[in-house]
Amino acid sequence: MIPILRLVVFGFLALSVIYVLVSLYSRSVRREKLEKAYDSGEATRDMPDDVKPDRASYIESGMAAYQKGLRRQLIWLVYVIPMTVVLVTVYLVNAQ
Amino acid sequence: MVYVKWGFRIFVLLFVAGFLHYTLPQHDIVRVTNAYNRLTTVGENWLFYAGADTGTAEGDETRDIRFIDAVFADGSVIVYRNEDTGWVWPPYFKYDSSNLQAEATNLKSTAADPQWVSVTHYGWRFPLLSIYPNAVNMKAVDGPDVRLIPWVNIVVLTTLLVLVLMLRRMWLQFRERMVDPTLAEVDARADAVRAQATGFFGRIAAWFRTWRR
Repeated sequence: MIPILRLVVFGFLALSVIYVLVSLYSRSVRREKLEKAYDSGEATRDMPDDVKPDRASYIESGMAAYQKGLRRQLIWLVYVIPMTVVLVTVYLVNAQ
Repeated sequence: MVYVKWGFRIFVLLFVAGFLHYTLPQHDIVRVTNAYNRLTTVGENWLFYAGADTGTAEGDETRDIRFIDAVFADGSVIVYRNEDTGWVWPPYFKYDSSNLQAEATNLKSTAADPQWVSVTHYGWRFPLLSIYPNAVNMKAVDGPDVRLIPWVNIVVLTTLLVLVLMLRRMWLQFRERMVDPTLAEVDARADAVRAQATGFFGRIAAWFRTWRR
């Protein structure tokens, strides 16, 4: 039983590292996209001047929307896919 | 220097290719001739056997290992070992060695009345080191010429390629967003300090000051 525990513990640690890296990357990409959208003027083109947000608040509200969005939830697949692959492999290799 | 660089690259490439060739599954179409146990001493070639805590392998020195003898269509022979792989590496999660040995016994056949079998295995047969490929699965096939598509290898290699490209993109993003702005800031600070400096020693002092925040 010990080797299974070892796989679970170290696998969980490794996947957590990957999860953190991927979520940092995803946030960084989203922030860059928001910055570019604001700087090109495309994001605020149709807004009248009196409601136009400044750059910082535009980006912060965009990041807040990202925090609640589906794309961030999809990063959980970093855990789900490898575990599914392991289970499928166990089944396929050991089934007759 | 160029030779060192290319030598290193070729070494890394060969190492990765060899590692994948050892680890990924391959299919042999063979005729099983024998399936048996043999006491085997595992010494310095331990890397190419199952780990000592893997269930079928008990003890480090001498083990009772299952083997499967087989013959290819062209008459050359191959010997597989049949060991559990354990839970970490290589990630086959095989723990049905006993069943596989029973299947092998069941599929034994003679040259006169051959039963061709597709054996999925990983590893190398290398007599000098006494190492054997590990059989993972076997199934009866119609003849020695059936065509098998290596789906697992296609999927695994594609996934690895995607992961490498993804890692590269993540690194480039990190450099663009974190490393480059920091360097630019340091550079700008250095320029500002240097602009105030006068004379040779003044410039040296200014250079030291650029390392202070």
